[in-house]
Amino acid sequence: MVLSKNFGGGHRGLQESMYSVISLLFILVACVEFCDAAAAIDVYRLIQYDMSGSAFGSRFAALNHHAASLHFPLGTDLSRTVLIIPLRELNITFVREYINQKKPLGGLLFLLPEIFNPGNGGNKQVHEREKLKNVLAELERLLIHANLPYAVYFAFENDEIDIVLADIKKNDATGQPATATTGGYKLVIPTPEPKKVASPTITNIQGWLSGLKADGDMNQLPTIAIVASYDTFGAAPALSVGSDSNGSGIVALLEIARLFSLLYSNPKTRGRYNLLFGLTSGGPYNYNGTQKWLRSFDQRLRESIDYAICLNSIGSWDNELWIHVSKPPENAYIKQIFEGFSKVAEELDIKVGLKHKKINISNPRVAWEHEQFSRLRVTGATLSQIPVAPELLESTGGLFDSRQFVNETAITRGVKLVAESLVRHIYGHQGKNVQIFADGGSLAVNPAYVQSWLDLLSRTPRVAPFLSKNDPFVMALKKELADHTDEVNLQHEILEGMFTFYDSTSTTLNIYQVASVTFDLVLLLVLGSYLIVLFCFLVITTRGLDDLISLFRRPPSRKVKTA
Amino acid sequence: MTMFHFFNCAILTFGPHAVYYSATPLSEYDTLGTSVKAALVYLGTALVKLVCLATFLQVSENDGFDPYQEILKALIGFIDVAGLYFALTQLTHRNISQNHKFQAVGLGWAFADSVLHRLAPLWVGARGLEFTWDYILQGLEANANLVLSISLAALGSLIWLRKNKPKTLIPIIYACAGIVATMPSITSYLRRGLGWHFPEVVGFELFTSLVMAFISWQLFSACQRPSA
Repeated sequence: MVLSKNFGGGHRGLQESMYSVISLLFILVACVEFCDAAAAIDVYRLIQYDMSGSAFGSRFAALNHHAASLHFPLGTDLSRTVLIIPLRELNITFVREYINQKKPLGGLLFLLPEIFNPGNGGNKQVHEREKLKNVLAELERLLIHANLPYAVYFAFENDEIDIVLADIKKNDATGQPATATTGGYKLVIPTPEPKKVASPTITNIQGWLSGLKADGDMNQLPTIAIVASYDTFGAAPALSVGSDSNGSGIVALLEIARLFSLLYSNPKTRGRYNLLFGLTSGGPYNYNGTQKWLRSFDQRLRESIDYAICLNSIGSWDNELWIHVSKPPENAYIKQIFEGFSKVAEELDIKVGLKHKKINISNPRVAWEHEQFSRLRVTGATLSQIPVAPELLESTGGLFDSRQFVNETAITRGVKLVAESLVRHIYGHQGKNVQIFADGGSLAVNPAYVQSWLDLLSRTPRVAPFLSKNDPFVMALKKELADHTDEVNLQHEILEGMFTFYDSTSTTLNIYQVASVTFDLVLLLVLGSYLIVLFCFLVITTRGLDDLISLFRRPPSRKVKTA
Repeated sequence: MTMFHFFNCAILTFGPHAVYYSATPLSEYDTLGTSVKAALVYLGTALVKLVCLATFLQVSENDGFDPYQEILKALIGFIDVAGLYFALTQLTHRNISQNHKFQAVGLGWAFADSVLHRLAPLWVGARGLEFTWDYILQGLEANANLVLSISLAALGSLIWLRKNKPKTLIPIIYACAGIVATMPSITSYLRRGLGWHFPEVVGFELFTSLVMAFISWQLFSACQRPSA
């Protein structure tokens, strides 16, 4: 029995070995070069975009240069070298000086700590993470507004690249810059040139929750709009998950929608207000999407909106929130909204302040989402933890905005604040101390819901030009909103205007350990001399020394013969 | 540059064979046919060994040293010796002296061994960007293998082709032949059982090949004296 098993196994073994020999032959013939790099890691490219014709970001994607660390000897030419800079050792003035003076460089590779990795690294406690966050924020600001004629990539620290970097540092310390003749490590990314993203689409998702129309009432019910923008913009589009800006806003909007859908499901408790939930795109680009969304409204609908509450970054505050308005605080509507919020905030032990920023119609810059409403004469306010209006492309969910720095409790409190204020306005309970969304009741804010959506958003990069029309994430948001509202609509628009984007956002980097040309030349010399010595040795031992000498003397003797 | 490295390793691996052929009287007597025939015999032997290994050997998961498997591999390795015997005695050679016959057979044997075992990894690996010392070490191993093959052929020819040998030397001849024939098992024991690294194993192979070559040269010349 054993023998037959062996024989059966042997036949299979023979067949397998035959097949492996044949496949190896095919591989030889096809001359496939196996990738036997020292390391292959995922890297994410710096964003490349044009704004009003000016070029920004990293203008190249391919890399094929030697690597060097920050300890390179002073005065070396780095135009064909890639600098590998870990974030922990980053000297921002050095990088700024390099970029501002437009010094030639082969490429940049930034190594980020694992805590900024959207895929994992969620719960690791790292000391000095606030410092790292600030350094990264500053680096991001520098890189986004610079024009870099070389490839810039981000990668996450792991064991392989740590070993490689330690080796590179050791080589640099000996004072030898890595070039073709001295060996070292070579970084290769063989991607083609990045192309423009043609017609980037932005998709606005709106959900409509109808109020209770009394019989015989012909008038249009008033509407309250709750809006949040869901897309991000950051230094690395493949990593811009924007947990706080504006993941917190989206989660709050979904939770508010869920609570009100519960409240409105029963006709007895349905309010006399329609609720319009809007998840808009194009936020970082002067709220382009919101503008297009509002323009698409019917005039009657626009006039029926009592006011709009926009949610922007409410995920990492302690006890102070701001309501930003563009109409003067003395305005009756603004007063009403603010008082409603303040009363609820007092009960929840939150401090709410009012900030007024006038709109300049001639200035295309739109710093807050409510300004788009105000430009179309709809009262609007933005609830945010950010005290001052952000600049263009600031606070739009960059690399540093990761899940670690967002607090679910803050979002839950924010949801409670907004929901209670709205509900008192809708049912006319202003001033009364009634807690409709009290903890422990059936209408309590669900922290698990908040947390699970926040976790999902913190893993999904959402830069609008790279989200297709039927992106699964957009479909997921649509489905979720459809669960909580009566009617959901999608609006697809083209992101036009001053921004143009380029593709190629993430790829794989191969790191090869290479020997220098001089090494191979020396090897050739050694081998040549070895073969010559071997030849002479064999001739001497087998044919005798005379034969060796006669090898060199043959031509003259022939001449003698002919003469 | 990487083709350059491939070229370097190729001349290290296959150069000595060509140099040996041209430097010694083998080229004068045109023994190329013998070498080619020996190479073909090696090919046949390799196929037979493949079949036997596939049939009788079990693939172990860990890379440790299993004595039973190694003894089995050594026994199968003696098929090598049988193949060499076939090449030395059964093939019809042109009228060349015994001295050159064993050299030609050993050369063809070693060349076929190098091509079969080392050309494929060299072509696939040495042309890439990544640099390792492996291919240079492999070339040195090929050199050691050349010397060992010629020594084995010499001892083989002494055992099977020379009829009148001094009685005292016969056991030494057989002992040396046994050592050289079991060299693969010894190296695999060193690598797996003792955990030596590739450079150390190659160094050991080079040293033993030189020692064995010297011993077999002495034996050969000692056996040649009576007839001369």
